[in-house]
Formats: sequence, C-alpha cells, structure tokens
Amino acid sequence: MVNAIKGVFISCDIPMTQFIVNMNNSMPPSQKFIIHVLDSTHLFVQPHVEQMIRSAISDFRDQNSYEKPTS
Amino acid sequence: MGNGERGRPNKKIKYGGKDDQKMKNIQNAEDYYDDADEDSRDGEGEEKKRDFTKLELKPDHVNRPLWACADGRIFLETFSPLYKQAYDFLIAIAEPVCRPESMHEYNLTPHSLYAAVSVGLETETIISVLNKLSKTKLPKEMIEFIHASTANYGKVKLVLKKNRYFIESPFPEVLKRLLSDDVINRARFSSEPYYGGDGFTIGKTSGELEAGPGELLNEAELAAAAEEKETHSFEIDPAQVENVKQRCLPNALNYPMLEEYDFRNDNVNPDLDMELKPHAQPRPYQEKSLSKMFGNGRARSGIIVLPCGAGKSLVGVSAAARIKKSCLCLATNAVSVDQWAFQFKLWSTIRDDQICRFTSDSKERFRGNAGVVVTTYNMVAFSGKRSEESEKIIEEMRNREWGLLLMDEVHVVPAHMFRKVISITKSHCKLGLTATLVREDERITDLNFLIGPKLYEANWLDLVKGGFIANVQCAEVWCPMTKEFFAEYLKKENSKKKQALYVMNPNKFRACEFLIRFHEQQRGDKIIVFADNLFALTEYAMKLRKPMIYGATSHIERTKILEAFKTSKDVNTVFLSKVGDNSIDIPEANVIIQISSHAGSRRQEAQRLGRILRAKGKLEDRMAGGKEEYNAFFYSLVSTDTQEMYYSTKRQQFLIDQGYSFKVITSLPPPDAGSSLGYHSQEEQLSLLGKVLNAGDDLVGLEQLEEDTDGMALQKARRSMGSMSLMSGAKGMVYMEYNSGRHKSGQQFKKPKDPTKRHNLFKKRYV
Repeated sequence: MVNAIKGVFISCDIPMTQFIVNMNNSMPPSQKFIIHVLDSTHLFVQPHVEQMIRSAISDFRDQNSYEKPTS
Repeated sequence: MGNGERGRPNKKIKYGGKDDQKMKNIQNAEDYYDDADEDSRDGEGEEKKRDFTKLELKPDHVNRPLWACADGRIFLETFSPLYKQAYDFLIAIAEPVCRPESMHEYNLTPHSLYAAVSVGLETETIISVLNKLSKTKLPKEMIEFIHASTANYGKVKLVLKKNRYFIESPFPEVLKRLLSDDVINRARFSSEPYYGGDGFTIGKTSGELEAGPGELLNEAELAAAAEEKETHSFEIDPAQVENVKQRCLPNALNYPMLEEYDFRNDNVNPDLDMELKPHAQPRPYQEKSLSKMFGNGRARSGIIVLPCGAGKSLVGVSAAARIKKSCLCLATNAVSVDQWAFQFKLWSTIRDDQICRFTSDSKERFRGNAGVVVTTYNMVAFSGKRSEESEKIIEEMRNREWGLLLMDEVHVVPAHMFRKVISITKSHCKLGLTATLVREDERITDLNFLIGPKLYEANWLDLVKGGFIANVQCAEVWCPMTKEFFAEYLKKENSKKKQALYVMNPNKFRACEFLIRFHEQQRGDKIIVFADNLFALTEYAMKLRKPMIYGATSHIERTKILEAFKTSKDVNTVFLSKVGDNSIDIPEANVIIQISSHAGSRRQEAQRLGRILRAKGKLEDRMAGGKEEYNAFFYSLVSTDTQEMYYSTKRQQFLIDQGYSFKVITSLPPPDAGSSLGYHSQEEQLSLLGKVLNAGDDLVGLEQLEEDTDGMALQKARRSMGSMSLMSGAKGMVYMEYNSGRHKSGQQFKKPKDPTKRHNLFKKRYV
C-alpha cells in the first residue's frame, strides 16, 4: 500500500539545510515540519511552512550582511 | 572617513553682517554671480539639497575638474588634466570621503577648513580657487559655509619665540577683542608701559612659501597672499598659556589659536647637530607633506596621514632634521621604538650617543644637551610607581623643552593618554603620523585640538600608480561552513563559541593551508597569517608547524622569529595575533592571510594591509604595464552564512573608500586538493569540532591588549546589542533587589575598583 504525503521539496546548500533542521528542532513537537531529511542538501517538508522558511532565511541573511550607513 | 567624521554638525549656517559684506564683494568681483540665480537656491529641506538639476554649468565646464554641491560635498574627476593641482588643493580644504579610481568624493567640514586656514590658505583664496575649479557656479550655501567656518579660524596664532609666548594676529581688532576677555587680559605681560593706543608690537612675517595652490593660481590672488604682512602681537605669561588656549576654543571666544614654532630664531634651546644623509631623498609626496608643515619658515603642529609603507619615518626624521632641536619620539611598543631609533640612524647623520631609547627593557640615559629620545606612550603616561632609574629619566623629560614631539600611530592612542603626554612634556611643535585616521570610538576629532589639524593626506591609489607602495590584490575568500560546524554554530547554547566555530571551520583551514602552500612553493612569497582569536592562532600554527607571535611572546623571542622570517629561506610563514597589527615592520612580507579578525574594525584592516604595502621588486616591473601587475596579496578568509560576513564587509569600508576593490573567491581550495590538505576526513573534522566545543570560553575568546582601544570600543558596542550579560546573570533582578535592600551608608565606603586588579575570573565582567 502506498502512502502519499503532500509536501515541499527543498534543495539548498549544506549550511542552509542545517539552518532549517535547526529551526525544526527548536519548534515544539506539534509544529515540527520536516517530513524527511533526504540527504545533506535536500529536504522534504510540509507544504504550509515554505513562506516561513523563506522569511526566516532572509532574516538570517540580513543579519549577516553589512550595509554602509548613508551619511 | 565615512561615519568617522559625521559631516557638518549643523547644516543651517548663520552668518553675521560682516560676512555678508564680504559676500557682496566677491559677487561683484566674479562675473559668475548675479542675483538672478537667487531663486534656484531657495529650496529648503534635505531632499532639495540633493537635487542639483538647477545648478548652472559654466560654458567651459569640460575643462574644469570638480562638482561642488550645496551640501558641502565636492566631487572630483580624476581624469581631468587639472587633477593633480585640484587634488592638492582639495586635500588641503576638504575631508576625503571616498576615493575610487575615477571619481573622488570630498566633504567640507569645519575641521577641514580649520586645517586649510592653518596651512596658510585664506578664506578668499579658498573660495576663488574652488570657484575656478568648479564646473558650476559655487552654491551660495557653500560660500556661506566657508565664510562661517573660517571667519575666526587662524586669525590668532600662539608663537613661542625665545621661550616667550606671544599671541599674534594680523588683525589688531581681533587682539582687542581677545584682550577684552578677563582671563586673557590678566595673562598679558605688560613689561612695556601701556600707552593710550593698543600698544601691540608690530612685526613682519616672511611670505608664505606655499607650493600647493601656487601652481594653480599664478595670478594676483596668490601674490597677495605671499606678500609680507604686518602682524600685531602681545606677550602672555607662560604660566597662563593653558588658560588662554582654553578661552580661545570654539566654545568660549571662538578664536582657535594656531601654534607655530619659530625654530630658526630660537637660540635658547641648544641646536642638535643632525642633517639628512644625502641618500635620503624624500619622495614628492613626502616633500609636499613637509612643505605644509614648514610652510612659512616656521614649524606647525599637525597630523600627516600617509599609508603604511609609504615612508612615514622618513617624514618624521626629516622634520626633526629640519628643526634641529631636541626631539622626543613616541611609538606604540618596544619593537617600533627600536625601529624608530634605527630609522633615525639610517636617514640622518645623528651620532649614536645623541639618540637614546627609553623602554621598560632598555633605559638609556640621556647625555649631552640636545638629542633624540625614542620611547613609548605607555612609558611616559604610566601613572604607577616607577623604578628609581626611570623616574629620573622622566624627570629629565619633564624639565626639558622639546623642539619637536613626534608621535607615531596617533590614531591608536586614547585621548586621555595624549593629554597626559602633552601635559608632561613641553614641546614647541607636535607632529602626529598615522596611516588611518579612523577609529571606531568616534574620538578622532579630539586629535584636532590635542595635536593640530591634518596637514596632509596622501591618496593611496596615486602612490600605487607612482610605484611608491605595492600594488595589492585584495581578495575575500568565501569558505562554506561544514555541516557539523554549522549545526553547532546555530545552536543557542553555543552562542559564546560562535566566533571560534566560524574561525575553526575546516574549509577555512584548508583554504588557508592551500594559499600558504601555493604562495610558498609557486611564488616564493613571504606570508603573514593574522588571527585575533588565540585559540585559532595556536591550532593553526601547531597544525601547520609555523612559528607564531602573540601578546605573551617575549620581546627577545619576537625579535628572533622576525629575524628568521626576514633572513631564513625555510621560514616563509609567520602567524601573528593582534600584536602584529601596528608598527611591526616586516618589509619582506608580501602576502597576508587573515583568518580571524576583530568584530568590525576598519582601522585594523587597513593597518594589516599596511604590513605589505612597502614597495618591492624593481620599479619598472611595478609600474603599469610592467611584468607583474600585482605583487602583494591580501586574503581575507570568511566563513559564509555567519556573522563574519557582516564584520568582513564592514571592515573593508575604509579600504574601499581609499579606492581598493575586493575580489571574491569562492572555489578555494580546489576540489581536487583532496587529502593533501589537513582536515580532509570527517573523523578529523569531528575531532576538531570536539576540541573547539570543549575548550573553555576564556580560551576561545579574543586576545585583550592594553593598547587596543578599538577593540574595547567594539566590544562595548556589541555588549549592549547582545544579551550576553543578561544570560550570564550580571544584570539579573536579584542583584538589583540586593542593592535596594541595603542602605546607602554601606555604599559610601566602597572604593572605586580598579579593573586591572580583579581576579582573573571576574576580569571580563563589566568592562
């Protein structure tokens, strides 16, 4: 019997996978969203979290980039 | 200078009726000004100030090199045939903001104008030259601003002649205004009977020998400036000099005094017999910076900014040789004291017994009646108990009158230490030397008043083009974090180890090893590796079996390692911690690899680059079109997706403003490098990770150096942003309750604690 689960397939680089895994781990059990960690660059997650992951990653990137203050 | 100098404090400029009058005179004199353009400048508010569509171009604008904007910014086209002259002029009157290859940006600030006046430029000259060079009519705001800022600057001079202090001014009415002040009036020496008139002594000063704008203005304006001028002066009580100076500062009477030293007519202080050796040929820019200092036959106090490796020491030695009086030279550490002493002997005819070093290791007594003493800031400003011997030497320094106070690396020394040094030593003239006039604690403007204005600042790219400093290829190497390291990096409980984790990233190590191997074997280069993080420094150096120097390395060992690095063919790489940032002179090195660095200190980045700027190889190879375009390399290794990216970009700002560009390299080490480099296998990487995680927090932290103020400033800034103190409980509620529960009586007996005397465990709390 085949079970079909709808989800989002994420393909990213190694550190970002770790970032998403870390995000998942910090969630309470009811909200965990990773269905499968396929390998070090691919993940399969629940469909509704896509936007949340995107915004979390963009926040994270913003923190790590410097913009020259306009004087 | 980007955010260091925050532009002009207030953009609304008030000007008095007197200036208004002057304005009209210019408007009449210059055809470019008619009343019709009045309406185009009425626009108020920030946005309109940046809209320049209404500025009128002069008909021959193609030949003129610069754009002047109403908000004080000036843009210079470096490809213009007039570039050289325009640059010399602009650097005298404005603060360089950003100097890439073909377009420079400058900013007019009160300080820069103060500097302009102090090197002998007059308000009218500034405006007319600026107008000549500008493609558009000078905006009215700018003219007003120049008037407002220079109205009082430079009108009054404090001159030390034959050990008597005189206040000098070409404008008797200014002196009268000063004398109407109580403090100054009381300080005035009235040796001569006071006649009804103003009773000022009238003398003549020789004309200005200003070379800079002279090339530009072969006309009447400059002739007027060079004419002999009458000066009026009165003498003041030497004991009152400090008070008088204070009264003249902008917050009181607003007539900041320029200090000049008429060293040729000083026959009280004994002359020092020293000349430059014939082989010491100052380069054009060194000559220029000296001409700013000795513009009218007297010595001015001020700061000269030259990139590292461009021959700052020769400028210092030349200045001392020209003044020919006792000279006190201050450096930042013992190594650079040795280097300064060496430079003095190298460039000048000074005899060995006329020069002495005064450091904690070598206390040479000072013989003869004139000479050069080289010492460190710490030695002079030290407030604790000294040995009997050094006490004597300090006493001697205190009693002596110095012709020149030469201060190296002025940007690193905190203001309070300067005040101390300046108050201890009596000097006629102060010269500050530095490569990077930026600091993170925004105290750079203090130097304007403590030493003097900036006399000269060289353009880095011009020196590169001239072949005076090395042509450096700057690169940022992006190293992706490995899976395991990044996973740990993201964990909250590792927040204190973040730095150690991204520095010890195995990919970074491999990139570093690859670069070292490549440069050692393929090019035969000499390499310096910088790491601020002591843990990383030791790990890397041990793993790669290279010598290293850090704060605790003794002076003798340092000298030994550096000597081996310079001479031996087997030692081609040396690892340095922060101690290598300043003043360790390693002319042989031409590659820098930076594996970890201070949060975001722009100065540190520039200083490190400076370690390899000294020009190498033959001149013709280095010129454009020569054999090798780049002969020095500056790599900054950065772990991607970490905080390091943020800091790295911030650090580069200063160099980018100087016109350097950073190339990003993403594919290091090449994928086929495999197991030839360290930490290839996962087991190795994991054991390294374990090591990092198990190391104590104090081990993985930053090295703390006493002389390092930038670091402290940045640390503070970070502390307030993060929640580190909250997490460690330092700001907990419990502590507060405990405090309020007690009565104040207990508090009164508390002595202020000296942070240096704390137990090791608590040293790092409440910095």
